[in-house]
Amino acid sequence: MRTRTFNRSFAFFATLTALILAGSSCLPKPPSESGGLSITLYGFSIMKEALEKSIYPGFVAKWKQEHGQDVRFTSSFAGSETITNQILQGVPAEVAILSIDRDAQRLKDNGFVTTDWHTFPYQGIINKTPFVILVKGANPKGIHDFPDLAKPGVKLIHPDPVSSGGAQWSVLAIYGSELKKSEAQHGEPDQAHALQTLQAIWKNVFVTPSSAREARTTFELGNGDALVTYELEGLLMKESGKPLEIIMPRATIFSEHPVVVIDRNVPAAKRAVVDAFVQYLWSDDAQAAFVKHHFYSVTNSALNEANKEFGHIEMPFTIEYFGGWQRAYPEVIEQIFKNQVRDRK
Amino acid sequence: MMFGVPPLGGLFKPDKKPRLKAVLQTNYDMSSIVPTMRHVRGFDVARPLSIGMLVFMMLPLVFLPLLSIFIFGTNKGLASFWSALTAAEAIFALKLSLVTSFWATVFNVVFGLFAAYVLSRYNFWGRNALIVTISLPTAIPTAVAGVALLMLWGPYGMLGRLLRPHGIEVMFTAGAIVLANIFVTFPLAFGVIKPVFDTMSRSLEEASATIGATRWQTFWHVTLPSLRGAIVSGALLTFARAVGEFGSTIMVSGNLAGRTQTAPLYIFAKFNEGQIEAANAIAIVLALFSFLIFSVLFFARDWLDVD
Repeated sequence: MRTRTFNRSFAFFATLTALILAGSSCLPKPPSESGGLSITLYGFSIMKEALEKSIYPGFVAKWKQEHGQDVRFTSSFAGSETITNQILQGVPAEVAILSIDRDAQRLKDNGFVTTDWHTFPYQGIINKTPFVILVKGANPKGIHDFPDLAKPGVKLIHPDPVSSGGAQWSVLAIYGSELKKSEAQHGEPDQAHALQTLQAIWKNVFVTPSSAREARTTFELGNGDALVTYELEGLLMKESGKPLEIIMPRATIFSEHPVVVIDRNVPAAKRAVVDAFVQYLWSDDAQAAFVKHHFYSVTNSALNEANKEFGHIEMPFTIEYFGGWQRAYPEVIEQIFKNQVRDRK
Repeated sequence: MMFGVPPLGGLFKPDKKPRLKAVLQTNYDMSSIVPTMRHVRGFDVARPLSIGMLVFMMLPLVFLPLLSIFIFGTNKGLASFWSALTAAEAIFALKLSLVTSFWATVFNVVFGLFAAYVLSRYNFWGRNALIVTISLPTAIPTAVAGVALLMLWGPYGMLGRLLRPHGIEVMFTAGAIVLANIFVTFPLAFGVIKPVFDTMSRSLEEASATIGATRWQTFWHVTLPSLRGAIVSGALLTFARAVGEFGSTIMVSGNLAGRTQTAPLYIFAKFNEGQIEAANAIAIVLALFSFLIFSVLFFARDWLDVD
């Protein structure tokens, strides 16, 4: 009895020990940490394709040619507000590409960013894209401009402004569009009308995904009638053969996306490569790559005009219409959207 | 009336053991006397009905959701399914999940064993409070677990702030994932091992001591072997739960593809990007994996408990 128990338990624990050894021998070795330089980038959701398919390979080749070193990129993509909060909690981001200037400002206010990105070329803006409405196939609900989204029975997908920068652009696009049109008509922006339209549209929102990309996936899976998002998302969906129509509103906003260096996380040894990467984003190669991935270039408007897929916008406007993000956020996102639209009973 | 009487016939399934046959025999006699027990004899209509009902209820709740993962994961052909599976980031994510869960399991089984030993052998002031505290992580939302770890070990957390100047960073590494897994699976192994400890007869241990065995020898040769079944099932349970952990991992890992992205985070990222097949390919692997674990759990337990 005793020997039998002993043998059994011995065999059992020998197996267990073997398992432990096997387990420890395959501790994960990140492919991105096997020597060489590495840059960790956190980006807002729609930056993924352009960066991974064109910008990273382009910069890696350039740096290799000029300095003979290999550069590796590791990245994570989520809603702009989400990645900003992650960086504030201490994730090892060295570069961040954000959807909205306000998030860059938050990083600066908390001491993570010390280099003012407004001193970079084009005030730190690397690319832009207008806000549009996406509808299914043959536009069965007859949506031609933002106010049509308020029609009864329209099910609208709209990302959550709490976590997504794109959602805040979308709110500004709808609100600003109504101001702009009323201004063109009566000579003065009609704020009450713009607020009413936004409130009516928000009533039709039935799901608020956490990022623009997640909102697109929700829409792609066949949910809802319409989605307000970056034009580039619609072009990407068309590219993959999805039946949809991109509705360009009469007046809409161009979202402009800043890049920041998280100075606090960049060791001195990596400063040169990080700075070179950030500067590379305004190079001709990078800007052409952005246009290839359906963004508008900020440096070269000839590239944008040559791209026939971009829709025509009658009355485009930018964040400057609201007096910049430092005014747009408290006045429109907080005062108008959060207090009078979202939290309205 | 159909479900008014529990289908006793199903309970007393025909067995090779003569003892049970005797029971059946008794029922047979009684059923001719008591009219409500007539269903025990011969064909019982409640049997196929209730089995059918059970399967039917599980259909939309469990079977169909699982089936749709398989359909969506493979509807672009096996070639694209295979390339989704063998993508470098996918393999890394799976490996990272397995290894971090493995270490969390090792820790929690050893800890659970120790905790069960202490809490069932010694009675002391605060013992019940400790038992309740150990069980707490099952009731805490996993996102809260993630936030709690971040507030403690994060670079700006209570302890993390002090460790950071020394170059020790706990959060946003594989270690953080292990910590999160340990936290959320904390009570599982303990919960399986403790009841076995409680009901274990101490006479064998006492006998072992009387023939001159040391405390350690008794533990190694007498106590531990009788806990084998509980240890294995506790370990598998912990492991299965840790592999699927999401809520806390997404907060503490940093979610960097190819570095700190576990399999569930990979699935979430792929879903968000709209790569549904890639997400489902890994989901299929995890589903099959947990099926395997629970099959082992189901069959090995009987085998290990036989002594």
